[in-house]
Amino acid sequence: MKSLSTSQRAGLFAFASLVVCLLCAWLLFGRGTSPLQTDVLTLLPTTERHPLAEDAVERLARASGDRMVLLVHNKDDDAAKAAARELGAALGADPVFASVIAELPPFDLDQLVTPFLPFRFHLLTQEDRAALTTPGFDPVDALKRRLNQPFGANVGAKLTDDPFGWMQHWLDRQPWNRSALVPEDDLLTAHRDDGSYVLVIATLKGSSYDDVVQRQALATLERAEAAMTAKHPGTTLLRTGAIFYAASARAGAEHDTHVVGIASTVGIALLLLLVFRSLRPLLIAFVSTALGVVGAVATTVLVFGQLHLLTLVFGAALLGEAVDYSIQYLCARANAGQQWNAERGVRQVRPALLLALATSLLGYSLLAVVPFPFLRQMAVFAIAGMAVACASVFWLLPALAQKPARAPLSPTLVRLALGWQRIASGRRALFGVAVLCIVAIPGWLRLGHDDDIHLLISPPKALEAQTAAIRDVAGFGGGSQFWLVEGANAEEVLQREEALTDRLQTWVAEGKLGGWTAISAMLPSAHRQQQNMAALDPLFTPRERMSHWLGQAGFRADGISGFVAAYPGRVFTLDDWLAMPAYTPFRYLWMSGGEHGVGSIVVPQGQDDANLLRKAADGLPGVSLVDKPASITALFGRYRGYADVWLGGALALVGLAFLWRYGVRAAWRVLLPPAAGIVLSVAALGYLGEPLTLFHVMALMLVLGVGANYAVFLREGEPHVAHLPGAAYAGVLLSAVTALLSFGLLALSTMPALQHFGLTLLLGIGFTALLAPVSVPAPKNRIA
Amino acid sequence: MRRLIAFFALLCVFAAHAQTPTLTDDVLGHLSKHPQVRAEFTQSRENPALAEPQLSHGDLLFVIGHGMVWHTRDPFEDTLVFASGDTSRLNAQGKLERVRDGNRGVSQVSGMLQSLLAGKSDDAMRQFTISAEGTPAHWTLHFVPRQARVAKVLAGITLKGDDFLQSIEVNLASGERTLITFANTRDAGPLTLVEAKVLGVP
Repeated sequence: MKSLSTSQRAGLFAFASLVVCLLCAWLLFGRGTSPLQTDVLTLLPTTERHPLAEDAVERLARASGDRMVLLVHNKDDDAAKAAARELGAALGADPVFASVIAELPPFDLDQLVTPFLPFRFHLLTQEDRAALTTPGFDPVDALKRRLNQPFGANVGAKLTDDPFGWMQHWLDRQPWNRSALVPEDDLLTAHRDDGSYVLVIATLKGSSYDDVVQRQALATLERAEAAMTAKHPGTTLLRTGAIFYAASARAGAEHDTHVVGIASTVGIALLLLLVFRSLRPLLIAFVSTALGVVGAVATTVLVFGQLHLLTLVFGAALLGEAVDYSIQYLCARANAGQQWNAERGVRQVRPALLLALATSLLGYSLLAVVPFPFLRQMAVFAIAGMAVACASVFWLLPALAQKPARAPLSPTLVRLALGWQRIASGRRALFGVAVLCIVAIPGWLRLGHDDDIHLLISPPKALEAQTAAIRDVAGFGGGSQFWLVEGANAEEVLQREEALTDRLQTWVAEGKLGGWTAISAMLPSAHRQQQNMAALDPLFTPRERMSHWLGQAGFRADGISGFVAAYPGRVFTLDDWLAMPAYTPFRYLWMSGGEHGVGSIVVPQGQDDANLLRKAADGLPGVSLVDKPASITALFGRYRGYADVWLGGALALVGLAFLWRYGVRAAWRVLLPPAAGIVLSVAALGYLGEPLTLFHVMALMLVLGVGANYAVFLREGEPHVAHLPGAAYAGVLLSAVTALLSFGLLALSTMPALQHFGLTLLLGIGFTALLAPVSVPAPKNRIA
Repeated sequence: MRRLIAFFALLCVFAAHAQTPTLTDDVLGHLSKHPQVRAEFTQSRENPALAEPQLSHGDLLFVIGHGMVWHTRDPFEDTLVFASGDTSRLNAQGKLERVRDGNRGVSQVSGMLQSLLAGKSDDAMRQFTISAEGTPAHWTLHFVPRQARVAKVLAGITLKGDDFLQSIEVNLASGERTLITFANTRDAGPLTLVEAKVLGVP
């Protein structure tokens, strides 16, 4: 590189930048699918020790993934039904929906009965099995009681196919017979005191997270809803589904990107214009920063294959740090006046910039170690962006800033900087820092902590309320707690699941649980089917005895022979279960064929106390409760603990770097501003009543990185501007204000994690910048 | 012309008004004047699969707004309680046991009667087309399912009565026919402790 001239080097760099820009454009827009990711679930860390459990979490989340679940409500039954029909028709007309179910298709009750006939003797309810095996079971009496039930209404199988009602009892337990919604006028309806609710389900043609699908589907729904409410006043629409959550997350992130991105860009531009009083520095700073962002986007997409929208929000804030490098260079240029030489300028700022880059990279690489996809992506984004922005200062900017600056730094800023530098340096300042640290103690003592999952996922309350209302009326419980049952093979899984559901059965009787959804309620283990046969066998051996009983109870001979001949039928197998269309909606409960072995999911209803649910699995082999929110909360807490240690470690590393550069006597001074900045911001959080979260601590690491920069810039810059007291600090203040403008705006983010990040950085950078003068000896000319 | 329209409008209003107290409302109104009723029942069931009708006898207690106790004495002893959508069995120890495999059809019919007599005919109207014939002193109500799905199973229900309900006939699409006739129907008088408890009557 040494042999290349400034312009040759800049040319090469510009060419490389162009290639990266093109690569970035291709990555973003050139391929069929957009790498922009809006699914918050992808941000969540893996928490479960077993990969099968993670698989299960994913499955359950996606079980209702690409569907809109809508509930039309009106006080008037006819209006609710008409509105639901029209809504269904309006949605069905749009090709973005693969299917819309409002009016049920013509449907044959036999479909839910006939396929079960060959298996009927193998499928018994727990109560029937118990009754059959009770000593003294009297088949004739059982038949008499069934045949003389009040009102009759033997629904389901024909009486001759099911004289004892065993099959009817079994079918009554199947999930479609337990729905809170009843088919009425060909619509799935629920009646409450406040009127009628009608279900409409729209399945998307594509993913809920696909930008195009999402927009089109939501726009169509909005139009259809408007038309529906206009025609049937008083109609309301409850909705739930991944698409609504995805859309709200996307809207939030987009809003944040716009606010943070635009506001910080405009703010920084105005500031640079005011300070440098010329357009060229502004353009130079923006070229450097823009290249940093482009490099960051390209690297992130290359590393992760995607770019999360929230990373982009954070990236928008990163502008404020990336612009620091060019600011330092431009300040050097402005301060040099007519003596400016672009190459000498680079040599002058290089040590400071490299040291600053090193401390920043240190901070971010610690973020990359945390096993959170979200933090990792942010770290990679930041590392790439910083490195490119810094490199552009070394290799590209000299060619762009050949001529000396037209005007020196704004004198007002320099005067302001000098004024504060005088106040905030020397012994008096050290005393002040000591006092501030004492004041900070009560703040530290007031500090609480919060590790809730809602830091990462905070869906709008209105949407949560609608989801809860739909769960209440329709009984769909898309919970995130469930039992995972594992086993060596399908049979073992089913047997273990039955051990669990037998226990749950008693819980339901005790009112501790509303119910559950599990595959073993549809597909008993082979072992249990054997037990069923063992319970029935005595009744059918010899078969003539059964025929005799049926005859005694009043059955005609032809019906009897058919029933007796059908015994024992076939074992109901997993393949039979998979082949039965009625069970298709419940396939998500069964996990096999995956790389992580065989397992099943049991979903509880009407109970969300994790401790109680965990007790249900006590002592049952292969059964464990998976509670994703709780796992994440625990993980947050654990890493918050680690992060404290890391912060200390990082502080020590930075201290070592300073020791190497500045020696024992000065190093502590340079380290003091960021260290005090951290102490004071934590205290401020305590006074503000903000509980400390993992994200606060992560932000403190950045405060350390950025704050150390300021001390370094000041320390390194001061000797070069001896003729201009205050100019070096003015450069630092400029950096700090740009950082505050961008990071501080994160505090306005809709996502709590980013908000905490922003607030902490706002406080930390503010304190550090104000304390930075401590790192150099007080300005000499005290009486100016 | 305008006058003619106004005349027709007036006519329609009067016609509608004149229809308001229908026989159905009248009958239901009469029945609901007896909030607690006891009766003896005979149930006869015919089914194509059965060589001869099944007969059972017993007595019942019907309390509007609470439920029904169905006590079969013959050919077996059994007491079922239909209350708030659930079916329970009163065991020998006088305790209620929920019947998980209870017939949903039974509790639905019982629930419909309950809501009809409690003045909430909406539920029944949604499910059935109700027609009435006769006089308040001697009436017949026909319930025909409006829902095609229900109609595939249930052909219809017919209630007959005078001051009290005299009979219920349930016809299924499968050809099963259940006729329940009531005798010695009377106001229940005070409930026993057990009856009050199982029906939740204070």
